[in-house]
Amino acid sequence: MDVLNFLFEGFSIALTPFNIFMVFSGTFIGTMVGMLPGIGPVNGIVVLIPLTFALGLPPESTLMMFAGIYYGSQYGNSISAILLNVPGTSSAVVTALEGNAMTRKGRPGPALAMSAIASFFGGTVSVMALMLFAPLLAQWAIHFGPAEYFALMIFAFSTLSSLAGDNLFKGLIATIIGLMLATIGLDPVSAVDRYTFGQLKLLDGLDFVVVVIGFFAINEIFRYTSRHESEHHLVTQLGRVMITAKEFAASFWTMVRGSIIGFFVGVLPGAGGTIASFVSYTTEKRLIDREGTFGKGDIRGVAAPESANNASANGAMIPLLTLGVPGSETTAVMLGALLGMNITPGPLFISNNPTVFWGLIASMYVGNILLLVLNLPLVGIFVRILKVPQWFLLPAVVAISFVAVYAVNNSPFDILLMAGFGLLGFLMRKTGFPLASVILGLVLGPLMENNLRRAMSLSDGDWTYLFASPISIGLWIAAVASLFLPLIIKRFSVTPVEVAEIAE
Amino acid sequence: MKSHITDRVTGVLLLVFSAWYVYMATTFKVTFMADPVGPKAFPIMLGILLGLLSFYLIFKPDPNPTWPAPDAWLRIGLITLSFIGYAYLMVPLGFIVATTLEMFTLSLIFKGPLLKAALGALVFSLFLYGLFDYLLDLSLPYGMIFRGWIG
Repeated sequence: MDVLNFLFEGFSIALTPFNIFMVFSGTFIGTMVGMLPGIGPVNGIVVLIPLTFALGLPPESTLMMFAGIYYGSQYGNSISAILLNVPGTSSAVVTALEGNAMTRKGRPGPALAMSAIASFFGGTVSVMALMLFAPLLAQWAIHFGPAEYFALMIFAFSTLSSLAGDNLFKGLIATIIGLMLATIGLDPVSAVDRYTFGQLKLLDGLDFVVVVIGFFAINEIFRYTSRHESEHHLVTQLGRVMITAKEFAASFWTMVRGSIIGFFVGVLPGAGGTIASFVSYTTEKRLIDREGTFGKGDIRGVAAPESANNASANGAMIPLLTLGVPGSETTAVMLGALLGMNITPGPLFISNNPTVFWGLIASMYVGNILLLVLNLPLVGIFVRILKVPQWFLLPAVVAISFVAVYAVNNSPFDILLMAGFGLLGFLMRKTGFPLASVILGLVLGPLMENNLRRAMSLSDGDWTYLFASPISIGLWIAAVASLFLPLIIKRFSVTPVEVAEIAE
Repeated sequence: MKSHITDRVTGVLLLVFSAWYVYMATTFKVTFMADPVGPKAFPIMLGILLGLLSFYLIFKPDPNPTWPAPDAWLRIGLITLSFIGYAYLMVPLGFIVATTLEMFTLSLIFKGPLLKAALGALVFSLFLYGLFDYLLDLSLPYGMIFRGWIG
């Protein structure tokens, strides 16, 4: 079979000592950033981008590490959720609810074990799905021209806008602000400089590393200033980190359903781990919660969100790799990194870069096994990192951010820009403008304008060309329809407010 | 009734901004047209869309968010100032000194104990410098003031 041949080839790349080291680094960093509240996979990846450029790492190794950070963070985020009732990232909110209830009943060990096993299950099932579906989608997308791409990006933006925040209009505004930021710099077609105000440093455009670090790392520092020092009781006596065969059997179909739900929700732009975990948890609550034990420390309530959020991280790789159109802030940052290495994800990505794609797939199987080891026997070591006080951790994050931002252009000017975007990000998040939309706009902006202009060149300036093919009409309809997605999801999922009510 | 002033003000600011953004686009000097669209059309489209969307904020605003308390704003201001200071001092003082000072300042703002904060800042700055400058060969500024000392 073709797939097996390719996969074999992939393993021969992924199992070189250097690439095993890269996958291990990725999964280790991923577990850490996932676990620490306030820092997520975006921070981990974006800080490493300048470093991978400076060291000239090969693209497949870099992508293996970045993907490891992404799915690894979905393992790590449950550790702080279960032990501290503070989700490491928003996709562990449901895990916090159910897992922390188990901790309060004196069963933190089984909760952590279930989370690791469900994460492994979701991760592995979804890699298989990724391996089978990605090439098929790529074959289909090969017929995409500039008009179809333009419509596809509109679809990605409208879905993200309707799912990323509470207010659709604020999501759209945030997207446009991102697109506007992308217009700063020299126009590649006509060499006209736009919005640079004579600043030579802006001619190349804003570096997205600077914007993203400002938005996510520095913003978090500002946010922390109004957080109250709360005394969380950290449970250090974990007991046996294992589940019984009976518990595994009881959760098996929950994990199967969670993986499938997570994978497909992950493929959708803007949905991601948080929505995947909510939908999976609600489904299970409806299907199997006969005694009303969900919310009171039911182990199946840990299995559902954890299998789903891991599967969603792998599902999110599909639009990134096969269409070149990411649907989340993390995959948007990965797209930026790939473009920086002269690799253009898209329909031709798999056939042009088989080593990168199949190496990545193989590395994901390896990474999920590494994560199981990191999260089952070694979870006690990670728990100690949660004891590092915030007054040290936050300044340390700032110091690492300085190194990364300085490494982009060796310019202190970028540090000022980073601080400015940190403040802007803080204000925008306070007022409900989703930052993921800004990032997606910033990364996709040049591609979007380029496709629009190529489409217009092909049609000699006839705007109806954008709606001429069946595929683009379908995408335009999907874009409009996606604006109603929140209504549909509301029907199939509990909202965060309801979770808060269950938790009480 | 809850106040909605934040979104209304934001909407007005965005409206003014979009008008300015469109105006700026019309002033681009295009010497030749390489394609039928040119460099102006896309920004103008974005500006008009943003202008239209800002009316939504003005007429259908969300309730105000809970803004930080005055002491939190003070800390935000201090942190911002420390970043600006860092940007200007990094090259003259060098990475190690500047980063130690910055981390120490931030640790104090986040109410860390004085001595431990100083020690933590120094050790971590040295660690980062060693890791990136020596091990990974990513050059960080060593400091103009040390120029005579370290060749």
